[in-house]
Order: sequence, then structure tokens, then C-alpha cells
Amino acid sequence: MTATPKTIPEYLEQLRAALRGADPALVQDALYDAEEYLRSELAAHPGTDEATLLASIATSYGAPEEVAEIYRDTEAQVSQALRTPPPARRQGALAAFFGVATDPHAWAGLFYMLLSLATGIIYFTAVVTGFSLSAGMMVLIIGIPVVILFVGIVRILSLVEGRIVEVMLGERMPRRPLYQGRGQPWLKRIGAMFTDPRTWSTMLYMVLMLPLGILYFTLAVIGMSTSLSLVLGSVLATLSFMGLGEFQGDINMLVPPWLGVPLCLLAGVLGFFLTLHIARLVARAHGALAKHLLVKTAQY
Amino acid sequence: MSAEIEPHLKKFQKELSAGTVSLVLLAVLAQSGEALYGYQIAKRLERTGDPLLGGKQSALYPVLRNLSAAGLAASHVEPSVSGPPRRYYRITAFGRQVLDAWRQAWRDTRRSVDSVLEGQLP
Repeated sequence: MTATPKTIPEYLEQLRAALRGADPALVQDALYDAEEYLRSELAAHPGTDEATLLASIATSYGAPEEVAEIYRDTEAQVSQALRTPPPARRQGALAAFFGVATDPHAWAGLFYMLLSLATGIIYFTAVVTGFSLSAGMMVLIIGIPVVILFVGIVRILSLVEGRIVEVMLGERMPRRPLYQGRGQPWLKRIGAMFTDPRTWSTMLYMVLMLPLGILYFTLAVIGMSTSLSLVLGSVLATLSFMGLGEFQGDINMLVPPWLGVPLCLLAGVLGFFLTLHIARLVARAHGALAKHLLVKTAQY
Repeated sequence: MSAEIEPHLKKFQKELSAGTVSLVLLAVLAQSGEALYGYQIAKRLERTGDPLLGGKQSALYPVLRNLSAAGLAASHVEPSVSGPPRRYYRITAFGRQVLDAWRQAWRDTRRSVDSVLEGQLP
């Protein structure tokens, strides 16, 4: 049992310590909730000093250890209730390969790959513009509000990206923005923006999102269009050989049609499932990257 | 109370409140004309006795988030002078329908549990 906290930052520090090892996104949410409650309690009882107030908090909101336990418990229950059940383990390599089509994560990952070009452009532009604008204005007094605005926008974008990543890639991300430093002089809070490693890792993530977005988008579009057109082409070719349709243009096949058409179909079908596998891999890897750069760096 | 009984009581209360806290929170949101934030809800509950059964108010926040994620409550954020921006919750139309169903389930449960406790089994 640690000593009763005397100030709100102390309480939050103890809560953070009690949650050590928990999911960083959960830690961020828990700290945010506690801060809201404690600050409201303080505002509701003007004139009471923080230490007395925090002593009474233990019976209403809970001591840091109790709060940590409650959040751990609830998270376990909720993640069990809300998580998409993992697809039934399929027998055999063949079933495992084709079973990817029934995995919602693969489809969501594919959609994320397409979306990431747009979000990548937005993040990249925001960070590059904001950074150069702040750096350029730094010599002037109006540079300071520009920097604060810029860091604020980066934090909001980070939260938005976190929500997208959690919904589409299935990685637990914070549901509350990063909030810190209330009660410190504002110059110190501005300083904290620069010493917080998460500010920098978030910007790095956003700059990285442009090349990554281009790569993901290209992979998804090439994979899907190639495999689908191979499938469609072989179906149309079969139809035209049966005299049911007309092909416009020349068909120059290196192999005779009885071999070429089934090969095209096979390549198309395999390519389609392969693309889904790639999408699932990208989803997993990118989820881990986002978790690391957007959430983890500043936690402990 | 003897020290032997207490842990059993605590465990029972914890299990009971795990089931009823969503119902209580949704009912508070339904009765309120305006959107409420976490601390306000906690204080309203405090005034009505102890519906959390000795539990701590920090347990409300994760439940509020779940209600919101399930579409039973809608939320928005407003800045606050006293601390971090507050998230305000209000019940949705779907939430009201669910609350009616829950309320019925609660009454049925209470009635049948009471009749067992009072020994009115046929």
C-alpha cells in the first residue's frame, strides 16, 4: 500500500504505477477519466485543499489501486464480450489458405490499405505544413500560438487515426486524448510538448503514413485488379469459345487456349486469396506500428 | 458483522452490481433532461443511496463507454474550465427501448427472487 496521494498529479502517478503492464490504451483512458473526476470534485468544493479532498476520494472514486483493479476487470469482461470471435481453426493448409475470405480482419485490412492513401496524404500535409510554419514563425512571438495549435492538431489526428486503427485493424487504441500537465504554469506545459517523446513519434508516424499509404494502396489495387481481371478474362474467354460472346481485340496467347484459360483462372483465384492474406498481414503489422508510435512510447 | 461473512457479502455485492450498474446508469440518463458527464452521474447516484452496493464510482466510466459503444447512449465532448474536456452522455431512442426491456427483466427477476426468498414456492 502506497501513501495517500497529496495532489492530483500524485494520484494520477500512483494510478499509472498501479496499471503498469496493462494495455497502454487502457492506461490512457483510465488516467483521463480519473483526472476528469478529480478536477470536477475539486471544482465542486472550492476552498477545500487537495490533500483533504483526495483522502475522501478513496471512499467515493476509489484509491488508485482499487481503480486500477476495476479497469483491469472491466476491460477483461468487455473485450470478451465485444471481440469478434476468432474464425474457427481450419484443418489443413488448403482450408487455411482459402479460409482467409471469411476473416473480417482481412477485408477490413484491405479497406484500410485503400483508405491509407487518403489519410496518409492528409497527415503528411498537416505535419509538414505545420512543422515548417512553426519553425518559420519561431523567431516571431506569433510562433508560439502556431506551435501550440500545431501540436493540438497532431494530437487530434493521432486520436482519429487511433479510432480508425482500432475499428479496422482490431488493435486496442486510446478512446480519450492524451491529457496532461493541468496545474502547471503554461510555459512549462509548452515545454512538455517538446519533451514528450510521443509528440515526436506521432509526427514520425504521420510522415511515414504517406509512403506507407502509397505502398498499401498500390498493393491493394494491383492485387485486386490483376486477380479479378484474370478471373473475369478467363470467364469471358470461355464464353467466347463456346460462341456465347464476342471478344473485341486480339488474343495473343503463348499457350493453347485449353491450357491458357484454366491457368488464367487459377492464377486469378490464387492471386485474390493471396491479396487477402497480404491485407491481413499488413493489418497486423500496421496495427503494431500504430500502437508503438502513437501510444506506447510515452507510457513508462 | 463477523469477519467470516464479510468477504462473501462483498463478493455477492460485486456480482450483483456488475449486473445492475448498466441498468442504473441508463435509467439515470433516461430521467435526466440534459446530457450528463461522468462526475455528475456519480454524484446523482450518490444522492439516491448506494446503488453501486459499496462499489467505487470509477467503475461508472468504463460502463458509460460501453453503453455508448453499444449505441444505447450518445456522447459529445465539451471543454471545461476545471479540467480536461468533459464527455457528456445522453440516452438514445434505441437506449430507451433497451431500458424498457431491461426494466421488465429486472421486475420479473425481483419478483421471482422475492417469492423464492419468502418461501412461496408451490
